[in-house]
Formats: sequence, structure tokens, C-alpha cells
Amino acid sequence: MNARDGVVKVRSDVVKVRHGLAHVPAAPVALAAGAAAWELTGRLADASFFPPISTVLARLAELTGDGTILPALRDSLVNLALGLVISLVGGLVVGVAMGRFRKVEAALGVYVYALLTAPSLVFAPVFFSLFGAGRGAIVAVVVTYAMFVVIVNTAAAIRSVPAHLVEMARSYGAGEVQVLLRVMLPAAAPMIMAGARLGVGRAVTGMINGEMFIAVVGLGHIVTEAGGRFDSASVLAVLLVVIAVALGAVALVQAVDRRVTRWVPKTSRGHR
Amino acid sequence: MIKIRGLGKSFTGQDGSTVAALRDVDLDVGAHEFLTVLGPSGCGKTTLLKAVAGLVPWDDGDILVDGAPVRGPGPDRSVVFQDFALLPWATVLDNVAFGLRMRGVGRAEREERARSLIATVGLTGFESKLPGELSGGMQQRVGIARALAVRPRVLLMDEPFGAVDEQTRRLLQEELLSIWEEHRPTVVFVTHSMEEAVLLGDRVVLMSARPGRIADIVPVGLPRPRAGDVGALGKSGEYAEITAYLWDRLRAMHAEHRPAGAAS
Repeated sequence: MNARDGVVKVRSDVVKVRHGLAHVPAAPVALAAGAAAWELTGRLADASFFPPISTVLARLAELTGDGTILPALRDSLVNLALGLVISLVGGLVVGVAMGRFRKVEAALGVYVYALLTAPSLVFAPVFFSLFGAGRGAIVAVVVTYAMFVVIVNTAAAIRSVPAHLVEMARSYGAGEVQVLLRVMLPAAAPMIMAGARLGVGRAVTGMINGEMFIAVVGLGHIVTEAGGRFDSASVLAVLLVVIAVALGAVALVQAVDRRVTRWVPKTSRGHR
Repeated sequence: MIKIRGLGKSFTGQDGSTVAALRDVDLDVGAHEFLTVLGPSGCGKTTLLKAVAGLVPWDDGDILVDGAPVRGPGPDRSVVFQDFALLPWATVLDNVAFGLRMRGVGRAEREERARSLIATVGLTGFESKLPGELSGGMQQRVGIARALAVRPRVLLMDEPFGAVDEQTRRLLQEELLSIWEEHRPTVVFVTHSMEEAVLLGDRVVLMSARPGRIADIVPVGLPRPRAGDVGALGKSGEYAEITAYLWDRLRAMHAEHRPAGAAS
């Protein structure tokens, strides 16, 4: 009897512990742990190229205070936004065409997959000569980084639209355009949004690479300059800003995603 | 109402071989008739239905609806699908109104008609639910309401109750009968259930497989209206007689196919 009680008690404790863990917000804890690990490693290693996070944050405050960061950030965000809009719109149009028509897929597929996997920076000299060392070249780099993953995801999403829904729409006399707008795009929305999320991440990478290696402007300019001075605190400070930009952009896409895919059953997402 | 003459269709398999899905199918369906089509799986009954719907092309023969040759989907026909085919992102109201929307009916009118059909199938109060929040039986009620909303002269039903449980199936059969007895559309109802074919139909078309052709047409003399008590009909002598006959024929078909290793 007593032993049994004991077992029951232990089990309920286990349940309680699990329950407690479920209430811990995962992301903030992970961030705090990462920051602590950074601080600790930075202090213990005492290497000049890896300052602890406290030093980096202090430098970030300095750079913000003396007006270095904000104008550069504004520049970078404009590059990012332009490149992203072109990537999303172009990716959607080309992806839908590829998913819908075998001929288009056969014609463009080889280019899309080649450019998806090619190291996008090799096109830097081409853009440089085409657009000069300005905004155009950087936006072009952003697009080469971001657009192809959007295309590939959109094409796959359109191809996987359930055939019976298309048949149903046709049975009510729906034409090409109605099938596309009322059945295919809504059905493909969750996968298209997944592609958009990947595209945003790559766009941020493209932005900073473009700014570092083609036209030296924006946040990339600060990184290049600080790197030349072996000022890794400044490099890492800008890196923090870039990460914040990336997370912000992804959060924006997720907000749209939630509105568009509200109908997707919760069980297939996994909440644990 | 529907006139099918010499209908033939074959499919080409992955290995290039052709399989005759339908051969020499002749069939007449009268106006306001409730016709059930029964046969083993693979007998082409769904292909036949989809050909009448204008959803699949065929190789030989003609299909006429009210004297006009079928060239594609048309406003005189609507389909109830086995897997419901509801838009998972659209509410019950929008799903029921979908056919009307495709046909350019304005918002106010299509919602009014959709609401009245939702009431007919007993789903009032569920207008703003999504299909994923409904049971299978309720989802097919939505499918039936959507098909009726466009006021078809011919209702084509492809094993509509095949995916729901036994009790729900019985209830849906009774509801379908009472809807049909009120509105009297011409119905072609494909099923693999002998009981269902006999309980619902004025005539049962029995199809055989490979190639799919009409093996027999059996008139069902059970009295109408039948909506009141489908269960009692199931106990009548005539019902037992017809199902026994159909079973004999189906069993003979299976026996025919077994030596060829083609048992389905």
C-alpha cells in the first residue's frame, strides 16, 4: 500500500516537472543561455578577436550614439526591402508558372536550380559592371540570394494542390484564372509562405554581402571598415543589428503567414 | 433526360498497355429518375459518372443531356464527390456558395441561397465553421448543399456516403431521399453497396468490370416516398429478393474474373 503510494507520488512529481517546463518560454531562455555562454567564453578566452558580449553591447551603444549605425541601417533596410519585394513578386509569378505548366518548368527549371545552388556572390562583378557601385547592384545581389528559393517553393506548392479540389472547381465551370485564384493559391499558401520565410533569411545575407563586397555602403560598409581595423567588437555589434533585422523581417513574414494559413489544422504544427 | 450511346473509354497504363474502362455503354436516365449504379471496384462506374459530368474525356460514343451533347461541365449538372472536395480554408457558407460564385452570382444572392441550402441539410448554426471542424457526415452535407445550391437538373453523386460511418450513412440516405422527393432532380448515384443501391434507386444499373459495361438493369418496385423509414423498407420481401438477385450476379462476376487473377 505504502510502496504504491510512493510510486504514485513520484509519478505525479514527474508530471509536475514536465508541466513546469512546458511553461518556460523557450526562446528567451535560449537567448539568455547563448548570451551567458558568449560572455563566459569571451572572458575566459581573452582573445582580442572575440570580445565578450558586454564589450560588444557597449560598442553598439557607442556606434548608435555617434550616429554611425542609424543612417547605415536605413540604407541597408531600403536595399533589403527593394530586393525582397522584387524576389517575392518575381518568385511568386515564375513559381506559379512553373508549377502550373510543364513546358515552363522544363524551360526554366535548369536555370532556377542552377542559380539556387550557385554561390550568388560570383555574380557580383557582373552586377557591378551592369549597375555600377550603387543601390542597383546590391538589390540585384539580394534578389539572386532570395528569389530562387521562393520560386522553387512556390512551384512545388502549386504542384501539390490536391487534384480533387481543382476537379471540383472545374465541375462548377471555373476557368483557369478562377482555379488559380480561388483554389490553387489558397491551397498552396502555407508552402509558399514557408518559401518566403527562407527567402527573407537569404535576402538579409545577400544584403550584407552585397554591401561588403560590391558597393561599400550601409551596414556592410561599417563591417568592412571595422574589419580592416581588426575591430571585432564593432563587427560583432553590427552583426547583432543584422540579426535583429533578419528576425524582424522573419517576424513580419510570420505575421502574414498566420493570417493566410489560419485554416491549417493546429495538430499538424505541433505545439510541444 | 440523359442519353448515353456506345460510350467507350480506355486508359493507357504506365507500361503503355491500354485498359478498357468502359465499352459500349448504352443508358437512358429519365427526368426526375433516381438511378443507382452498382458494380465492383474498377468497373468504371466513377468514370461513367465523371464523363456525364464533363470532367473526363472519352473515346467513343455520345452523351446527351436534354438533347445537348456534353462537351464539358455545365450549369445543368452538379457533382457530389466521394471525398467531399471541400475547400479547407473556406467556411461552410463560402463552400456552399462556391458553385454560385464560380457562376458569377452576386454576393448577396449567393449567400442567401447558400443559407437556405444549409438549412435544408440541417447545418444552420455552422455557417462560419471550417470543414476541418466538422464530422465526415456534416462535411458531406456541405457537399450536397453546394451541389444543390446551383439548382442542377441532374445531380451526379459519386459514392457520396462511402467515407462515413454506418449510422451517419443511414441518416444521410434518409435526408437525401426527402430532399429528392421534394425537389425531384434527376439523380445518378454511384455506389458499391447493394443495400444502398436498392434502398435509394428507381432502377439499379449493374456494371461488370474489365471492360466496364452494363450487365443488367434492375427495376426497384419499392413504394415511394421512402424517406420516412429506410429501415422498415430493408425488411420487405421485395428488397430481400432484389438484393439476393444482385448478390448472385455480383458473385458470378467475381467468379468469372478469379481465374484470370483479376479479383478485385
